[in-house]
Amino acid sequence: MPERDQDRLEAAERVRRELGIENQLSRAQARTYVRCLQATWQVPTIQWSERDSARQIADARRLLHAAHIFRSIEGPSSLRAIDCYRRSGEILEWLSRGDDVIREVAPIELLAAGAYQLGGLPAMASGLLSQMRSEHIGVRLYSAFLRADFDGVLQRAAMFWRRHADLTTIDAGAMLIAAMRGKAPEGEAPPTVSWAFSVELVRSLGLVADCLRRGDDERLETAMDKLHALDAMATRTFSDDASLVISIMRDVADSFVTATIYRPLRSLGALRPERSPRLLAYARDQFSRGRGILWTSQQHGLQRLLQEDSFALCTPTGSGKTLVANLALIKELLLREDEGLLGPLALYIVPSRALAGEVEAKLTSELGRDVTVTGLYGGADWGITDYWLTSEEPVVLIATVEKAEALLRYLGQMMMARLRLLIIDEAHQVVPEANEATRLSFSDHSNRSIRLEGLVSRILSQRPDVVRIALTAVAGGAAGPVARWVEGRPNADPVGLRYRSTRQVIGVLETAPNAQGRILLDLMNGLPLYLRDEEDAVYLRLQIEVMPQLPAQWRNSLNRFNCLSVLWTALHLADEDQRILISVAQEPEQTMRWYKEALERADWQGAMRFQPPEEPLRARFDEARAACLDYCGADSFELFLLDRGIATSHGQMPQRLRRLMVELIDRRICPITVATATLTEGVNLPFDLIFLTSLKRRSWDPVEEQQVVAPLTTSEFRNLAGRAGRPGASRGIEGMTLVALPTQISTTAAASIATQRRQRAELARDYDRLRASLVIEERDADDVPSPLALLLNRIWERANRLLGVAPDAFLDWLERTAPTAVSPDVGTGTSDGTARLADAMDELDAILLTSLQEVARADEAAMTRARAEALLITLWQTTFTAVATEQEAWLEQAFVRRGAGIIEHIYPDPDERRRLYQYGLPPAVGRRFEAVARRMRELLAAADEYGSADPTTRIDLFQELGDLVSADRGFGFRVRRTDADEALLERWADVLGWWMNEPDVAGPVPEDLRSWQRFVADNLEFRLGVAIGAVVAEAWAEGAGDALTLPSLASWKDTTGLPWIGFWARELLRWGTHDPFVAFCLAQGLAPTRDAAGARRQEFNAWLEQEQDDLTAEDRIDPQFFLRWQASLPRPENAARAPPQMRAALTGTTGERGRYAVMPVTRGEGTAWLDPAGFELAVTRARAQIGGRPSRSDYELVTIDGEPTVTRVFRPA
Amino acid sequence: MHTCPPPTAALNEWLEAYGTVEQNYGHLLLEQKSEINDDLVDALRPYFESAHLDAQEYFHAQVGISLHPDAAGGPPPVCYPACLPSKAQRGLFGEVVAGLVTEAYQDEFVGRHAWRVPIFLFREHDDVEKYLWALRFDPARTREIYGRHGSDFIGIALNAQGELVRVIAGEAKWRKSLTDSVVASLLLGPKEEDEDIGEMVHNGRGIWFEVNRDSPIPHGLRQLQRLLEQRDPDGHANAILSIDRAVFGQGPPPGRTNLVLIVGNGARRREPASVLIPWEQPPTEYTAPHDLQVVEVILDGGDALIDDLYSTLWQGA
Repeated sequence: MPERDQDRLEAAERVRRELGIENQLSRAQARTYVRCLQATWQVPTIQWSERDSARQIADARRLLHAAHIFRSIEGPSSLRAIDCYRRSGEILEWLSRGDDVIREVAPIELLAAGAYQLGGLPAMASGLLSQMRSEHIGVRLYSAFLRADFDGVLQRAAMFWRRHADLTTIDAGAMLIAAMRGKAPEGEAPPTVSWAFSVELVRSLGLVADCLRRGDDERLETAMDKLHALDAMATRTFSDDASLVISIMRDVADSFVTATIYRPLRSLGALRPERSPRLLAYARDQFSRGRGILWTSQQHGLQRLLQEDSFALCTPTGSGKTLVANLALIKELLLREDEGLLGPLALYIVPSRALAGEVEAKLTSELGRDVTVTGLYGGADWGITDYWLTSEEPVVLIATVEKAEALLRYLGQMMMARLRLLIIDEAHQVVPEANEATRLSFSDHSNRSIRLEGLVSRILSQRPDVVRIALTAVAGGAAGPVARWVEGRPNADPVGLRYRSTRQVIGVLETAPNAQGRILLDLMNGLPLYLRDEEDAVYLRLQIEVMPQLPAQWRNSLNRFNCLSVLWTALHLADEDQRILISVAQEPEQTMRWYKEALERADWQGAMRFQPPEEPLRARFDEARAACLDYCGADSFELFLLDRGIATSHGQMPQRLRRLMVELIDRRICPITVATATLTEGVNLPFDLIFLTSLKRRSWDPVEEQQVVAPLTTSEFRNLAGRAGRPGASRGIEGMTLVALPTQISTTAAASIATQRRQRAELARDYDRLRASLVIEERDADDVPSPLALLLNRIWERANRLLGVAPDAFLDWLERTAPTAVSPDVGTGTSDGTARLADAMDELDAILLTSLQEVARADEAAMTRARAEALLITLWQTTFTAVATEQEAWLEQAFVRRGAGIIEHIYPDPDERRRLYQYGLPPAVGRRFEAVARRMRELLAAADEYGSADPTTRIDLFQELGDLVSADRGFGFRVRRTDADEALLERWADVLGWWMNEPDVAGPVPEDLRSWQRFVADNLEFRLGVAIGAVVAEAWAEGAGDALTLPSLASWKDTTGLPWIGFWARELLRWGTHDPFVAFCLAQGLAPTRDAAGARRQEFNAWLEQEQDDLTAEDRIDPQFFLRWQASLPRPENAARAPPQMRAALTGTTGERGRYAVMPVTRGEGTAWLDPAGFELAVTRARAQIGGRPSRSDYELVTIDGEPTVTRVFRPA
Repeated sequence: MHTCPPPTAALNEWLEAYGTVEQNYGHLLLEQKSEINDDLVDALRPYFESAHLDAQEYFHAQVGISLHPDAAGGPPPVCYPACLPSKAQRGLFGEVVAGLVTEAYQDEFVGRHAWRVPIFLFREHDDVEKYLWALRFDPARTREIYGRHGSDFIGIALNAQGELVRVIAGEAKWRKSLTDSVVASLLLGPKEEDEDIGEMVHNGRGIWFEVNRDSPIPHGLRQLQRLLEQRDPDGHANAILSIDRAVFGQGPPPGRTNLVLIVGNGARRREPASVLIPWEQPPTEYTAPHDLQVVEVILDGGDALIDDLYSTLWQGA
C-alpha cells in the first residue's frame, strides 16, 4: 500500500461521513429530492437557485472522488465506496429529474446511472435512464450500456454502422488514422482524434455487449482491453466530465464481467459437464430477459449456492431472489447424479395460492423445458394435473403449506423419497406476532406460522440431508433466526441484506371539500424529508381539477368523502400514466359501491378516460371481463368498475377471477386497482402509487360485546408500501404510499359536525402513530417470537389461570389430560376460556400426531413411548422455536411429554391415529368428524349416477353433503357473528345453488356479492372441501394398503371404492360448477368461462359417443376420457420452426476463424452481416427475413458444405 | 512522466522576454529574435517528445488493439502525434508551449512559483462534445451538447514535502496570425449579430469567459491526479493526497494562478515589443479572484516550426 493511502482513506471517509451515510440525509439533500419530486410531478417547486444546484453537483463530484479512492485502495467491493456511489447517484439523479440546468453542462444522468451501478443499485440505474430521453445516439448508446441493456446497445450500434457504412470495412481503423493526416476533400474537414476515438468506443461497447450476451470470454477480453485503453486515452485527452463518463463506463463494464451469469453457471456446469450446454443456453436466455448481469445480492446467493447447499437469502422482494431459487433448482434437480427411478423433486413453499400461480408462471417460462413445474391449481389434493407423480423428469412442486400437508398425507413416502430441495419463500412468515390475536388463532387452528414451522420441521427431521433454501424479506428482521433454522447451525448467517431496489416515499394525500388535493411528502426510505416543527412541510400541490361537490348525504360520511377524493385524484393521475392501487382496509364492497355511484354522476364523466386496450392486450381484457361477468354478474360493482379501467381484488374473489385481475394489473391494462391487502401478499405487481383510506380495521367481538379495532401493523404497512415502485416494473423510480387524510370535515349537517371532527382527529392521530413507528429504524432483531413457544406458553398460562394447574404439576397434567377433559366443547368453535384452552391443546396434538404418524407410517414399526420420545426430541431440534432463540428447557420437555401422552393416554389406538392423521383435521375435531365422515362416504359411494344426473339432482348431493357439516362449528360452516352473515348461513343452500351454477338460481344483489363470495370461499370451497377431501383421502389410504402406492387415474376407483364424483367433488366446489367437464376445461385453460366450458360439453359428448358404446354415467365424468379428448384436439401450430439459414458471401473476412458472431444491418436491397465491433464480414443479397427486433437475437456466420451461411443461434422466448 | 528540463539556452537565444508583474497580474511577452532553424528544432525536440511521451504511449496502446475478429487490418502503422491532422498539432503545440514557458520562465511569472508539469494532458475539447455524444461526424456543427470543458493546460507547484500548494491552469491558443481582431475573438468570443442593435458583436464566450467561470479547483486537476496515481503513485504520494484534500475542500485550498497564453505569428504591421493584451493592469474582462499570468509568444514562421518539429518527433528512435 503506497505510504499515504491511509491518509487518503481518511480524507475520503470524512466526505462519506459528511455526505454519504446511508441512513442520513442532509437538509440540502432532502431539499434536492423534494424539488426533484415536485419537478417530476410538474407542480410548483420549493425555492431553488443555480447556487443550490452548483453545490449539489459539487457534492456529487466529491462523493465520486471519495468512491474512487475507496475503490482503488479497498477494491471494487469496498462498502464505503458503495455508500459514496449511492449517494452521489442519488444527488445526480435528483438533479437530472429536477430538470436542472446543470443537465446542459454535464451528462449527469449518465454519471448518476454509472454511480448507481457501481453502488450496487442496478435497478435505480435503469429506472432513471428509462425515463431520460436524449436526441443524441451516443448518449442513448451509453445509457443503454450503463443500464445493462445489451440488446439496446447492439441496436444503437447497428444504427450507427448503418449510417457509417464506410467505417465497416476491414481496414476502417487504418483508413481513419490515415485520413486524419491526408487531405480531406474540398470543403470537408479531416476526421479528428475524438471522432476516431468515438468510433472505437462504439466498436468496443458493441463487442462487450455481444460477448457478454453470448458468453464469449475470449473476445470479451480483447474488447475489455480496448475499453481500458480508450479510458486511459480519454483521461489524457478529454474534458473532465467526458473522461469521467468513460472511466465510469469502464468500471461498470468491469463489474459486468464479474457479474455475468455465465460465471456461476459455468461453475455449476462443472458438476455435470454434459448438461453444461443447457446451462449456457439458460444464461443466454437470462440476458434476453434483462437478468444476465447478477445483482450483488444474487452474486452472494450464488456464491453460497456454489460453496454449500442450504442457506437463507435475505433481501427485499424485487431484488432477484427468484433467480437464486431457479439456480438452486437447476443444481439440485438437473446437476446431481441420478438416483432412483423417479425424477428428483423440489418442494417450493409459498404463502398464498396467488403467489403459487406467479411462481409457477415464472418457473415454467424459464425451466419448463427441463423440469415439470406444477402449481397444483386444482381444489383436490391430487388431481388431473398430477401426472408428475410418476414422472421420471425432475419436478418442482409449488404449494402452499396446506397443500403440501395434504400431499404429504397422500404421497408422503414417495415425496420424501424423491425430495431433493426445499425452498421456503417468504420464510419470515414463520415468525408470529406475539399478540393476543395470534394466541387466539391457535385455538381457531388458523395460525399460519405454526403450520409452516410444523411442515418444515417434519420434513427436516425425516430428511435431514435435504437441501433447503429460505427466501426472506428483510422487513421484520428475522433473517438471523431464519438462517439458523434452515441451515440448522447456531452460527448461520443469512446471505444478502443491505439492498434496496426501489425508493419508497410515504406521505399524506390531504383531502378537503372544494379544494385541490395536495400531497404532503413525509418520509423517503424512512428518512424525514423535512423537520417537523422546524421547517415548512413540503408538498406536491396537485394541478388537477377540484372534485365536484358531493351530495350532502354522501358528505355526511367523512370516510366516503375521503375515499371518493382518492378516486377523483387517482382518475386524474392515471391520466398521467401512473399506476395506482387504492388499498382498502376492509369492506371493499362498500368502497366499490361508492365508486360506482360516483362514476354514474354526470359531473364525474369528464374524469374517466379509460379505453379498453388494443389487441393483443384486448383479448386479456375481454377474458377477464367475461370471467367477471360469469362469476360476479352483470350488475356487479366489479364489472361496472372494470369497464371503466378499475380492477378489483379481494380475498374472497374466486381464484380464477383474481388471477385474471392480477394479469390486468400486471400488464398495465387497468390503471387503477381497488383491492384489499390480500392482493399484494408476496405478489409482484407494478404500482407507482398506493393510496390508503384507513389505517385501521374494525370488527365486532360478539363474546366480549365490544368493537375490536386493529391498527395496521408497521410490518403490514411496510409490506404494502414495498409494492410501490417495483424495479423495472413501474415508471417511476420511487413508489409512493399515501395515506388519505381529510384536512377539513366534509359535512355541513350540524348533527354530524362534532362526529366528523372527532373522526378527522383520529385519522390524523393514526397516521402520526404510524409515521413515528416507521421512523424508528428497521432493526434486524435476533430475538424473535416463535410459534411453538407461544403455543406452549399459552397452554401453560391458561391451564394455570383457568384450571389452577401448579408449575410442578404442569408436565404431568399435560401428558395425561385429553382436550375433552378440559372442555366438552373442544372442537366446536366455542369461545369460552376452557374451550379455547382445549382447542389450543388440540392444535398442539395436531402437530404431534401428524409428526408421529408420518414417521410411523414410514417403517410400520409399532409406535412406543420410547420411540415417540426419541422422535420428538429429534423433531424438536428442527423446529424454528428450538433453533431461532434460546428457549427455556421446559418447552422441549412439554413438547415431548405431550407427544408421549398422545401415544399412551390420549389417542392410544394406532388405527384411530392413522385415520385422524388422514383426515387432516386437528384430532379432537377429527374424532367428532368420524361419524360424519362415514355418512359422507356413503353419500359419495352411492352417487354413481352423478354423470347423467340433471343439475338440480347433482347440487342436491352437495346440499346433502353440506347438511352434514353445516351445523357443526368445529369442522363445519362458520360465519362471522353478524346478523347478515348469520342470515346467510340459514340460507346457505341458496348460496350453494348460485355458486354451483344451477340454472335459474338467482345470485346476490351487488351489495351482498362479497359476503356470498366469502361464504363460498370459507365454507364451500374450504370447509366443505376439506371435509370431502378428508373422506376421500381416508378412502384412498384404506384401499391403498401400503404407503408406497401412488395414486393414478387408472386405479383410483378401485382403490377408493368411490365413483368419479369422489374424485371431482372438491374440484367442482372450487370452480363453481356442478359439471366435472366444466371444471376440467377451466383447469386446463380450454375455456375462459363456465358458460364457454359448458358449451364445449356437446363437442366432448359427440367425441365420447364415437369412442365408447354403451355409455354409462361414470363414463361421462371419467377424467381419463377428458384427457383423451383433450389429446385428440388439434394442437396449435408449433411456432418454433427451424432457425433460418441464409447463404452469404464473405466480404470482410477469409472465414479462417470458422465461426463468427454477426449482426444484421440493412444495406440497400440486401443485408450486411457485421461483427459486433462493426466490421462487415459478409452480405446476403436479398434482405434477410429476421423479424422486427433482430438485435435481440444472435446470429452466427459459419461455413457449411463450403458455403458461408448465416444461422440464427438464439432467439428470445 | 514528463521529466525533460526546458532547453533554456536555446529559448534565450530564440526569444526576447519582456516580463512585468503588477500586483497579482503578470504579463510576459516573448518575442522571437532569431530565425527558426534546425538547431532550434533539435533543441526543442527532446522537450516536446517528453511532453508527448505519456499520451503517445496510450494512443499507441489503444490503436494497437484491433477489434476485427480475424485481428486483420491492424494495427495501423501510426506514430502519435505525427499522425494527427495539422490543426490538431497546432493545438498540441500551444499546450506544450504553455508548459515550456511556465517551466522555463518561472522567474518572470507572477508570484515566481516553482511550476512543474509532471504530465501533459492533451485535451481535444473542441470536438469531444461534438462527436462523442452525438456520434455524428459533423464539423460544421456549432452547438455544444454539454458545455463544460475545463482548462487547456494545467501545471502544479509542490512544497518541500511534495504536497500541492498551487495550481496554474488556463488557456493556451495557437493562431496563425495574431491580429487584433483574431485576438479579440479569442479573448471575447467570436462575433455574432446582436439582434437589438443590428451589429456584429463578440458573443462573450471567449477565453475570459472560460477562465472566469472555471471552478476554484480546476477540473483538470483530478485528471492529472489520476495520471499520477497510474504513473508514479509512490513518487507523488504526497501530491496525490494533497490533491484529494484540495478536491474535498479539506484544509486551505491550494493557491491558483490563471494562465492565458497566446502563441502565433505576429501580425504584419506589428511594432516590435508591442503587446496584444495590456500589461499595466489586468483586463477589465478578467473577474476571477486569482493571480493572472498572460503570455504572448510572437513568432515569425511558426507554422514551419510546428511542421518541422512534429514531423521529426521520434524520428531518430
